[in-house]
Amino acid sequence: MAFALDRRRINGPEDSFPPSFDLDASQWKLGDPRKDRSPADIRSIFLQPGLISQANGSAYIETAKTKIACAVYGPRQSKNTTYSEMGRLNVEVKFTPFSCVRRRAPMRDAEDRSIAVAIHQALVSSVRLELLPKSTIDIFITIIESDGLEGCVASGSVAASTALADAGIELLGLVTSCAASVVGKEIWLDPTEEEARLAKGTVVVACMPALQKITSIWQAGETKVAEALACMDACQEKCTEIHSVVAQALLESAKI
Amino acid sequence: MGDSAKIFQRLHPRAYLERFVAEDVRPDGRPFDAWRDVSVNVGSISTANGSALVRLGETTIVCGVKIEIAEPELDAPEEGFLVPNIDLPALCSPKFKPGPPSDEAQVLSDRLNEVLASTISLSSLVIHPSKAVWVLYVDATCINYDGNVFDAALIAMMAALRNTTLPKATYNVETGLTTCSRTAASPLQILKTPISFSFGVFDATLLADPTAFEEPLLDTTVSVVVDENNNLVSVVQSGPGVDSGAEDTLSTCISAAKSRRVLLGGQIP
Repeated sequence: MAFALDRRRINGPEDSFPPSFDLDASQWKLGDPRKDRSPADIRSIFLQPGLISQANGSAYIETAKTKIACAVYGPRQSKNTTYSEMGRLNVEVKFTPFSCVRRRAPMRDAEDRSIAVAIHQALVSSVRLELLPKSTIDIFITIIESDGLEGCVASGSVAASTALADAGIELLGLVTSCAASVVGKEIWLDPTEEEARLAKGTVVVACMPALQKITSIWQAGETKVAEALACMDACQEKCTEIHSVVAQALLESAKI
Repeated sequence: MGDSAKIFQRLHPRAYLERFVAEDVRPDGRPFDAWRDVSVNVGSISTANGSALVRLGETTIVCGVKIEIAEPELDAPEEGFLVPNIDLPALCSPKFKPGPPSDEAQVLSDRLNEVLASTISLSSLVIHPSKAVWVLYVDATCINYDGNVFDAALIAMMAALRNTTLPKATYNVETGLTTCSRTAASPLQILKTPISFSFGVFDATLLADPTAFEEPLLDTTVSVVVDENNNLVSVVQSGPGVDSGAEDTLSTCISAAKSRRVLLGGQIP
């Protein structure tokens, strides 16, 4: 592993490895029925807007093991950019070093950026950027614990949209998002990391249920067209349910 | 708070705080010597080997410990590694930008490293001398920055370390590999639990546990770190002290920290 000494941090040894354990018999294999929930169930969502007092808007989301904090700063003046008629939406995603099974050294890698791009795509068409010339909206997302990349993208989009609404930024509609995976012949919604690894392919759908519009679809892996379409239908249905969770959470935080 | 009060606070922060201090109260309603409430929640992150979430008023810190195995340094074959770092991401406050650690984060990491060095004996982290030792990566992330991050981060790091267990590891001399047991594990041997107490001086007034609004207005900051036997671990004063009658600032802070340590000791796991 190439390792550049970063003098801005406290450094450990040059090379270190995660502990390897003796064999575990209770491994879960393909063909077994899904653990803990039925194929069409998603993990229960805990969503709390407005936890970060320093930010204009914020949200914290927890779906079983996945834990994500999101803060929105802005709209504020764009710096170092040329004049633009439209506002800019900036999304930054950061994993904490202890968020994954393997420790993530605090250097930005490609995974953070691909999640940031996916979340940006899910949100950008819902924000009325034409009302905010010369401005930037910064969305910062910290993944405290991750259980599956797809789940992070979906939960991250939901948290970010909630935080935008909490910041009082004009939106066309709330964006909700859901992931699905094709495991064997079944469609399992909201896969965990282990399930996504065993899946043939995954689909993440982001949409604005209030307007019945899809904002982003991200399909990866090998799926038949019919399977991908079935995934999308299942996701869209769940997105409508998630929408009422988000609306309820925002309503409750507005009352306080 | 009314809009005009908010605007006054933004435009003239010093005058705003002066008016409160003249009335013997702070903007959040605390008396000068009062601390914000501390809450600690341990073990909620399953991907970490030990973790803690600490809230000090609105300031929120999550800390996770990850254990890894490495070869020890040649000149210290019987010493493991303890690597504490704090991250102040752009998420936690408008004053931070995304990118490499800010000056403030670097200074905080360094001070935390200094204090933590006395809490764990590195020789207790040896698996096999000069071949394999444990590395404890102690990473804290600030989620909400409302002042006095050092105190909160130290509580979080200590709570996360207390929550950490090391699996029983065996080093195979022939293969050079280390295998860990899935069932047998033991907690870390922690020598002492230091807690930090920070103060600030604003116009000759001593404020305990300053908030993010008060911090930039302070002339002097004092941090006193005390362990469970009320021994000093570290004292840092940056800025001039104030002569106010019988006791100087530093002695006042030290005695306030010691009496608060007794009170807080029971609350922190």
